Amino acid sequence: MQRRLPLLLVLVLGIFGAAAFVIPHPAVRGVDEVMRNDVIRIITAFSLVLGVGSIIRHHLIKIRRKAEHWPFSWVTLITLVVSAILGLFGGIDPASPGILFRAGGVGRFLGTFHIQVLYENMMVPLAATMFALLAFFMASAAYRAFRARNFEATLLLIAAFILMLGAVPLGRMLIKPLPEFAEWILTVPNTAAKRGIMFGVGLGTMATSLKIILGIERGWLGGGGK
Amino acid sequence: MKFWDKLLAIDRRWIYVVIWLVVMIPLLVPFGIKPEAMPPVKMMFAYIDTMPEDKALVISVDYTPDTEPELHPMYISLLRHAFATKRKVGVLCVSSVMSLGLAESGLRQVLEEFNSRAETPEDSIVYGRDCVNWGWSTPFITILLGLGERVTNVFPVDYFGNRTDTLPIMAGLKNYDDMGIVVSIAGSSVPLSWVNYAHTQFGVHMGCGITAVSAADFYPYLNSGQFTGMLAGMKGAAEYEQLTAEKMAALGLDWDLQRKGTEAMSSQTAAHIAIMVFILIGNFAFFITRRRKQ
Repeated sequence: MQRRLPLLLVLVLGIFGAAAFVIPHPAVRGVDEVMRNDVIRIITAFSLVLGVGSIIRHHLIKIRRKAEHWPFSWVTLITLVVSAILGLFGGIDPASPGILFRAGGVGRFLGTFHIQVLYENMMVPLAATMFALLAFFMASAAYRAFRARNFEATLLLIAAFILMLGAVPLGRMLIKPLPEFAEWILTVPNTAAKRGIMFGVGLGTMATSLKIILGIERGWLGGGGK
Repeated sequence: MKFWDKLLAIDRRWIYVVIWLVVMIPLLVPFGIKPEAMPPVKMMFAYIDTMPEDKALVISVDYTPDTEPELHPMYISLLRHAFATKRKVGVLCVSSVMSLGLAESGLRQVLEEFNSRAETPEDSIVYGRDCVNWGWSTPFITILLGLGERVTNVFPVDYFGNRTDTLPIMAGLKNYDDMGIVVSIAGSSVPLSWVNYAHTQFGVHMGCGITAVSAADFYPYLNSGQFTGMLAGMKGAAEYEQLTAEKMAALGLDWDLQRKGTEAMSSQTAAHIAIMVFILIGNFAFFITRRRKQ
């Protein structure tokens, strides 16, 4: 039963989900609307609870066992709690304060430290910094690994040079039609190759979906195939 | 160890220092750049500029702070263009809740830019009348399909908790039929989901703003006409900023607003040249040492 019920649900809902796209009958549309607007949202809400529970459990175990880098688990848990409290009870901005910041609330000790301040001053610079590190790694990797060892690699190198120059105003200053040529590379050869890949991926996705819906592919059930 | 061997084995921290310098110096002292718009950017601009006045521009803020430097200038420019040409604007987030803060701060910034210079109440951009931030909801398939039926069903309340059915703007913004174009700005493949569900099923015009590294993935959809226009990377942002600035100047709104995409193009130019020089040096060193070994 533990395996049959999920398989049956996937079979019925998988076929219905696909059929609803092509059957405009009001009854089918009505059920589809309920599935999309209510059922999926309820399931998503449960998954959020599961996700938060899982991350808390994972880090508590790490702290208890003093696993490698366990102090960082404290950072995760504390930021999770602080941002959740600020988000839930702090309001969106000073113009519409939550209960934390209303008269008599603990917010009087925090001034205007609401969730948007936390977001703009911590989340944005931290995330942007992490992503900016890519530029350094890319430059280092380009210097060490981007070699014209054979014909294909040379072709790649030439295309990369044209696209890099075409993407900056200097390209037009050096060779006037260079940006248009870079655009042509993206529009014609790149699109041709991409379309081929996309057809392959699309057919593969359809085949995998059918295998899951029909119960041939059961890896998603877990349990190592038992 | 010979010179070329040393060059091949150079400590990567020297490369980091050079990249840091070529990015930082032009940021502090930018050199004058006037971007020239490419066809995908022109197409997007022209469509928004000429779409029927009763149709709204809907911007789906689907990027997170990591791609903010590249994508946020696009969002700001689109808002400026829409407000300058008196279009209604709807803002939403469908992919990540982390996009919410960017959507809000961008809208707040451009509202401030326009309202601080407004001379009459008619010149002001009023939240709830001229624009709305619907906020975030999940899962995205529900949102994308639900917007084709009724926006207020999908977003019963806006970002600030106001009931959306009480906002004046919603009277003329019921579903995709009232949206001139939906522009999804994302650092991921979310715009393709918009094409799959919103464009294919409901025929709404779609545009996208994407990072430069992912641009190649979107060209097939631009070629097929599924995207009306596309802004790719910092260059796309700078080109749209230029077109918007020219339009605003033509409308008498020559405000000399900050254009972060254009400013950052100096750094991008210097970084691209530095990387190309690195590749050339690396290849010279590689071939010289290989020939010597042979």
